[in-house]
Amino acid sequence: MYRRYLPVIALTATMLFPELTSRIYAEEDITEQRFLQLYRQLQPAVDEPWRTIPWRTSLLDAQRQAITEKKPIFIWAMDGHPLGCT
Amino acid sequence: MLRTQFIAVAIDQAYQRRQQDAEGEFYRKIAGQGPRNNFQSTTQGFYIATAAGGLLLYNNNRDPEKLNRLMQQHLQEFKAPSSATPISPGTVDARYNPSLPKEGCIVRVQARVLGGYPPTTDRWQKIFQSSLSRDNLWISKAEQQALTKGQVMQSLQERIARFHLVDNTRGEPPMWKKQEIRQLKITFDGTTLRGSVHLETADGKRGYVAQLMGKIELRSGKIVRFDMVADGNFWGQGPYSRNAPLGRFPLAVGFRLADGTDAADQVPPQGSRGWVQGYIR
Repeated sequence: MYRRYLPVIALTATMLFPELTSRIYAEEDITEQRFLQLYRQLQPAVDEPWRTIPWRTSLLDAQRQAITEKKPIFIWAMDGHPLGCT
Repeated sequence: MLRTQFIAVAIDQAYQRRQQDAEGEFYRKIAGQGPRNNFQSTTQGFYIATAAGGLLLYNNNRDPEKLNRLMQQHLQEFKAPSSATPISPGTVDARYNPSLPKEGCIVRVQARVLGGYPPTTDRWQKIFQSSLSRDNLWISKAEQQALTKGQVMQSLQERIARFHLVDNTRGEPPMWKKQEIRQLKITFDGTTLRGSVHLETADGKRGYVAQLMGKIELRSGKIVRFDMVADGNFWGQGPYSRNAPLGRFPLAVGFRLADGTDAADQVPPQGSRGWVQGYIR
């Protein structure tokens, strides 16, 4: 007789205990389809402009090349590596 | 302009402003001429310099149009110094030059928040909310050899969990402490890797509960394919990764074997910064 109240109970539980529902979600096995979908979603686009720049990661390598090519050095200096974790 | 008229270099200045070697000295020579010349704190920003170490520009504005204008302007004024000579690296400061262990391999790691942000019209918020992060996972020779026997060494499991299942999409994230691993199990049957993880701070304010799945191939004891994803719910944020979605939000992390074609493949893992032995032995 309580079956008809189950959707209401489930909704209320979701609102009151989001931790519980998110944990249930995270405990579902990843299917092959989900794996492929996420994997594609987590790859950077090949033509992103910053990826087309020949970044160096050594300042001294850049200094040597700047002498050879008679160019200024552009330094992108961040907390965390700009090409990695920012 | 960066491709053709400048020599572009990207660095984590937390290394260069501290390291006691020729690279550090050259960086401090340049940065010391700018407004951020206290090397006890951040010196981050964009610099244009000559090969002799003369500072032409310091700017920390992320507006691409403004930076473009400044670059054009300084390029017109630039004259290559005749006095510049190549600087020899000499003995490098090992603490700030961590290297991949012998016969180790590099895996690219990229994370993305899949939802949970409130709608925004703010240009910068939109960029942060849709960003794909980047870091590198290092795997040792011993860990690769264990995989050939179907074993995922505890050291590899913990490195993946503590340093790579993080939300680094808006900035530098806090890494997980060992005691914040509530549950971690990763198994490998020779082709497919599966795992589950529960990471949570003692106060419960930050956590990640996720499942992992991967496809791994090995040849002669070496990884030739490492495709893996983590799919789960994250909550909380760190002091440098603020403005996370409220409550729990979906965060996915992807792993792919690096092929050396990307300059970022050479960047040491963020978790190795300052103490590589704490990251990998």
